[in-house]
Amino acid sequence: MAPTATLDASDITEKARRDLLQLLEGVRGKKNLVIEKSLAGPVGLFVKFSTLQEYGVDKVFFLENNNVDSTQRNVVFLARGEKARQVQAIAEQIKRVRRESKQDHEFSIFWVPRRTLVSDQILEETGVLGEVNVVEFPMYFVPLEKTVLSLEMDDAFGDIYLRRDPTAIFLAARALMLLQKSQGLFPRILGKGENAKSLANMLLHMRAEEDIDASSDPSNAHVHSFDLTPSATIDNLIIIDRGVDFPTVLLTQLTYEGLIDETFGIQNNQTEVDSSITGAAPSQPPPQQTSGANSQAPAVQPPASSALKRKILLDSTDKLYTQLRDANFAIVGTLLSRVARRLQSDYDSRHKANQSINELREFVNKLPSYQAEQASLKIHISLADELKKVTNGDLFLRVLEVQQNLAAGADPSTVHEIIEELIARDCPLTTVLRLLCLESSVSGGLRQRDLEHFKRQVLQGYGYQHLLTFAALEKIGLLIPRVSAGAGAYLNPLANPSGAATVTDYNLVRKSLKLFVDDVNESEPNDIAYVFSGYAPLSVRLVQCILQKPYLAQLTNPRTTPALNSQPSTATASGNWKGFEDVLARIKGPTVDEVQKGHNAAASQARKTLQGSGGGQVKTSIVFFLGGVTFAEIAALRYINGQLGEKRRLIVATTGMIKGDTAVGAGVEGRSFKTR
Amino acid sequence: MSKPTADWEKVGDRFYRKTQLYTDVFDQDLELENHVIAGAPYSGAVALYRDEDKLHAYRGTQTAKPTIDIYSCAGKLIRSLNIDKGIVKALGWSEDETLLVITTDGTVRCYHNLQNDFTPFTLGHSAEEHGVRACRFWLSGFVALLNNNALIAVTRYDEPRPKLLATPPSGDVASWAIIPPAYTLSRSVEVLLATGKTIYVVDASECEDRMLENGPFKHIAVSPNGNFIALYTDDSRVWVISSDFQNRLSEYNSRVKTPPKDMQWCGNNAVVLAWEDEVHMVGPNGAASKYFYDSWVHLIADTDGIRIITNDVCEFLQKVPDASEETFRLGSTSPASVLLDAVDLLEKKSPKADDNIQLIRPNLDEAVDTCVKAAGQEYSIHWQKQLLKAASYGKSVLDLFNSDDFVDMCETLRVLNAVRFYEIGLPLSYEQYMRLTPERLIQRLVNRQEYLLALKVSDFLRLPLNKIYVHWARQKVRSANADEESICKDIVHRLDGKRGISFEEIARAAYDEGRSKLAIELLDNEPRAGKQVPLLLSVGEESLALDKAVESGDTDLVFYVLLHLKKKLTLANFFRTINSRPMATALVEASAAYGDRELLKDLYYQDDRRLDGSNLLLTEALKQSDSQHRNDKLKVAAKLLQDSREHTFQVKAIDETQRLFRIQEVFEKDLGESFVGLSVNETIYKLIKSGNIKRSQKVQSEFKVAEKTYWWIRLRALISRRDWRELEEMSKTRKSPIGWEPFFNEILGAGNAKLASLYIPKCTNLTVPERIEMWIKCGLITKGAEEALKAKDMSSLEMLKNKATGNAVHEIERMIAQLAPSRR
Repeated sequence: MAPTATLDASDITEKARRDLLQLLEGVRGKKNLVIEKSLAGPVGLFVKFSTLQEYGVDKVFFLENNNVDSTQRNVVFLARGEKARQVQAIAEQIKRVRRESKQDHEFSIFWVPRRTLVSDQILEETGVLGEVNVVEFPMYFVPLEKTVLSLEMDDAFGDIYLRRDPTAIFLAARALMLLQKSQGLFPRILGKGENAKSLANMLLHMRAEEDIDASSDPSNAHVHSFDLTPSATIDNLIIIDRGVDFPTVLLTQLTYEGLIDETFGIQNNQTEVDSSITGAAPSQPPPQQTSGANSQAPAVQPPASSALKRKILLDSTDKLYTQLRDANFAIVGTLLSRVARRLQSDYDSRHKANQSINELREFVNKLPSYQAEQASLKIHISLADELKKVTNGDLFLRVLEVQQNLAAGADPSTVHEIIEELIARDCPLTTVLRLLCLESSVSGGLRQRDLEHFKRQVLQGYGYQHLLTFAALEKIGLLIPRVSAGAGAYLNPLANPSGAATVTDYNLVRKSLKLFVDDVNESEPNDIAYVFSGYAPLSVRLVQCILQKPYLAQLTNPRTTPALNSQPSTATASGNWKGFEDVLARIKGPTVDEVQKGHNAAASQARKTLQGSGGGQVKTSIVFFLGGVTFAEIAALRYINGQLGEKRRLIVATTGMIKGDTAVGAGVEGRSFKTR
Repeated sequence: MSKPTADWEKVGDRFYRKTQLYTDVFDQDLELENHVIAGAPYSGAVALYRDEDKLHAYRGTQTAKPTIDIYSCAGKLIRSLNIDKGIVKALGWSEDETLLVITTDGTVRCYHNLQNDFTPFTLGHSAEEHGVRACRFWLSGFVALLNNNALIAVTRYDEPRPKLLATPPSGDVASWAIIPPAYTLSRSVEVLLATGKTIYVVDASECEDRMLENGPFKHIAVSPNGNFIALYTDDSRVWVISSDFQNRLSEYNSRVKTPPKDMQWCGNNAVVLAWEDEVHMVGPNGAASKYFYDSWVHLIADTDGIRIITNDVCEFLQKVPDASEETFRLGSTSPASVLLDAVDLLEKKSPKADDNIQLIRPNLDEAVDTCVKAAGQEYSIHWQKQLLKAASYGKSVLDLFNSDDFVDMCETLRVLNAVRFYEIGLPLSYEQYMRLTPERLIQRLVNRQEYLLALKVSDFLRLPLNKIYVHWARQKVRSANADEESICKDIVHRLDGKRGISFEEIARAAYDEGRSKLAIELLDNEPRAGKQVPLLLSVGEESLALDKAVESGDTDLVFYVLLHLKKKLTLANFFRTINSRPMATALVEASAAYGDRELLKDLYYQDDRRLDGSNLLLTEALKQSDSQHRNDKLKVAAKLLQDSREHTFQVKAIDETQRLFRIQEVFEKDLGESFVGLSVNETIYKLIKSGNIKRSQKVQSEFKVAEKTYWWIRLRALISRRDWRELEEMSKTRKSPIGWEPFFNEILGAGNAKLASLYIPKCTNLTVPERIEMWIKCGLITKGAEEALKAKDMSSLEMLKNKATGNAVHEIERMIAQLAPSRR
């Protein structure tokens, strides 16, 4: 019962795998699996297609394609049941199969992550509930890496900010609740932003409800009642609402991994690249892939993946990639050539004169790993080459110029000309919108005149349907007109009774948190700003406000350091917002700081004593990004973790990975006025 | 005190014991022979039902109404259930003491928690048509045999899904049995049907003939662990075979002409046959023992033994557990038996006690363990004490001993003795208690309304108490006659400060009793907002339900309430309800955007959200393929916003959209190419590309496209059509609003270095090195050198020299020479 085990991502993977296979086993005989597209990737992270086959899966269909056939008696649907659309799609397919097929079918639905009342109601109304076997597949967090947990909800950003549908927040609370059940309560919940606040409230709420749930739920009658004590291993939960920090998403990520995501896109640890770049996938799996590197290969291959594309797995099983992923792209070339040289010399060592048999054997033993490394080196060199072409392009440099100027706080009007040029040159709409949104975010909205001017330009350049795009972006809060009346409000914090600003005062925050570092060192990073070559992500700075107080204090105000520095122990130990309240008040959204105590204070005290004063223990902080996280931010957090040393572990949790194109894309109207 | 071996009997080489649990079980008037009996697993309640097939004496009107009576094992009537319609065909129990009653027409009633109310479900059309003949139950499901030999399986009761098994052959079924899913290879239930001379094994997909020839079998019984099958043949023999039909393990000839009325397993190693007042127990290898009774006998099989019930007694027949046998067997010299002897001697203050201990010193820990285990198997409190004393004595001699087992056993025995008391009537064996779990034992106590004992046991075992309180409160709500307010007050007062109380459950009980007002009042005390929702909907408090759903944060619940509201309320009322709740409105918008557009339109109209309404029309216009309809939609969209000043931009943009369509349609007519759908810039681009410069300029002026933009588009279009002539012409123009550098870059990018070079001299705003770079890009090193010469840039010249080949090297050297002297 004592939740002392440290949080281990592989446990979560293993559990999800076991759960799914158990459910599949529950359906007797061969079956066809119909899976929602957005679930295929996450499922592929923990179970291979061949394993599914062992468990009787004959064919896999995508729910969206609506093409299930009647070859198998058993049909299993795997889908998220939160949205009515999905449920209706399933109901229709069941009806269609039943109509077309001559034999009797057994239908099962596995709802991810839970069975909903709405799904039951819809199935009942369509008259299929009576003959489907409905079960839950409680998959919440999917570990992308040992320290990265994702809910992999692709629509989360659009749902939360555009449609104001808090389903994602609720599911996130559920997922965190599950973590608390296995690890103990988060002793402290910190956070920033409107949605962070509601997530924290939900967590507190759920904890109170859990007491009763555990005892009144007949299914876990013999589990002891839920009496949580604060976790011994987890120190705090830091919730960052994406809405607090849009600029970080909008800027182009400049780490290797970030750039791959920006250019080719990374989905569930995989990127898809034109095979002309990397060479076609080897027809036989190369040796390193059979020996474990491929253990997470996609379970569900899209039925007809275009032959010209090649999938590349990007995760920590690739040793070389682990070294490269977080580096600024500027130095990736150097790193690659260094590795290439080392590999060469290692390989050449076989020519050394008078080697003993033992040495030779050693060399032969290492041979497969050399080959693996060489193969991965080859891939990364060609990827880097391709990225280089992009980053050297005229457009990329132009865009970067605008971004750097805006991030550094230059007068926005200086970049207007470039943005206009980009529109005239018909560069991708999302790129243009990212720049406009960036300007709006850092300067508290665009001036009405500028906004209308750019709207006109975009409408003429990309079509009038984007009137809807602008409406959506304004709803999200990405592209808004500047409200001059509000200017007075944040000069006087007392004017706002809630104490929370409604618009972030970027000029002030930039200065007080040093969001732009001029002398950033890309090859030997000295600050998180290296991930954007100058701009330090606000979201990560907020995390530093809690975990690296002395460092941040020194960085932002080198002269007055002694004051805070003299008692670093008290400042860091508690993990709170202390010392940065003034800045936080100027960032939009409420600030969250909640302490969770166990019912039984004596018991938790006793446990603390038993485990020593926590001196020798690794403390974990969970940073939850509500609405998505970028690879650059993860890189920055890994950098911070490196600075904090062995005693602390940072785990990044999120609703899903995000990049500027997807964020802006949530608002972009996809259709156009075409005559069909 | 009688010896514990008094009720032992040797059958073959094993000992069996028959423990008398209770006497005077049933009223002597109760004619057991005319009743069907079913006992719940783990010594649970016993249900009796008057067998309709048997004749019975007419007794006036009071027996006219059939009832099912539920008794405890000690014969205490717990509840009497009225069966108002249908002919009961089978009675059965599930693991959690749910009584299942199946009638001929295939209706199944589940009576939960020994209560009067039930949840019904039906076995489906075929059961109704053909009628149910009999049922066989396992811990979590049952199989029904219909009169046409069809088999229907139900595997769970919370969401029953009757499933038709494979069709067995027709013919008279002499007897049948099931193997529960947990014990079959296929993990689905299997049915054994004795038809004709053989047995068929039926599961979900197939029906297999086992090719036996000694049928018809009068009885089939499957052992509790599913490994063995007992068959009663026509020539009055009992066969025990393995459940895969591969081995015959033993055979016994009963030599009785009439077939027994029942055959059941006693544990996993003996079979019990019952006639009216005679019981044969067949052990391994065909050894048997016979018992005779004065009255009618019923058998109730359990996992580790069998209960034998007559009007007078309730007995438990089981194999003597190993620990007991080791300790008590006559002449046993096992360490445990010596230890027990030692404690006896100790009580007599005999010094031999120590001799005994020394004798078994090497095995003392084992002896203690065995004594503790044996204590658990005893029903007599005296012997329990004696064994525990022995264990305690033994462990006091040992230096290192973990007493956990001992302490646990003491606690367990206290609980077991308490519930075995005849007024409670739960004669659990240790084995059964372990399988039942303490939590479910508490549930059973609560079901019998033994709240005090339940609380005490829970407290003693450190289990949560909340369920007991909730059950009490529910019972109170059901039965109390006081006015609602005082009931509520009483309940809230009593449960105040108790942890984990689910008021929702109590409120539901009140609602089920028809006390809606009380239900609402109780619900108010429920801390979980989400849980209140369904009940609030049932009692018609919709808007309160919506508030609670929003409060819970669970969008699913909110949706659920909204669906409910939409069906129930008028549209206007619906909007009024959601209006003040932003989350509800957002969810309605989000879901309607994919389906119910009309609803959305009404919503925006009602709320006077013009911009949203206009945007909605825009999306509709996007969907229209017909230009007339599209223009209509656009017109309406613009009209919606016409009156307000803040939307002038929007209105203008929509107007422009229509203008663009008109002009594009004209182009389509004139040029025979498609234009509609392109943006303004794209239209210009396409026009230039197809050489319609005049028209493109018209578009530019019509839509006030900036000169810069126009030039960019023109440049791109010309390049894409490889119009080098025109581009050369343009180089002669004096001024370009976008400068000349883009021309150079784009043309070079298109691969025409020669033409690109024309633009280099025009880029006067660039620095010399930049221009030199441009020359290099075009491959015109000499030109670059000239540039450098003009600027007197020596280092660039040197650099260029290194790049140059052939003739150019000399040229540059010459220039260097030219520059060099002037430097001197």
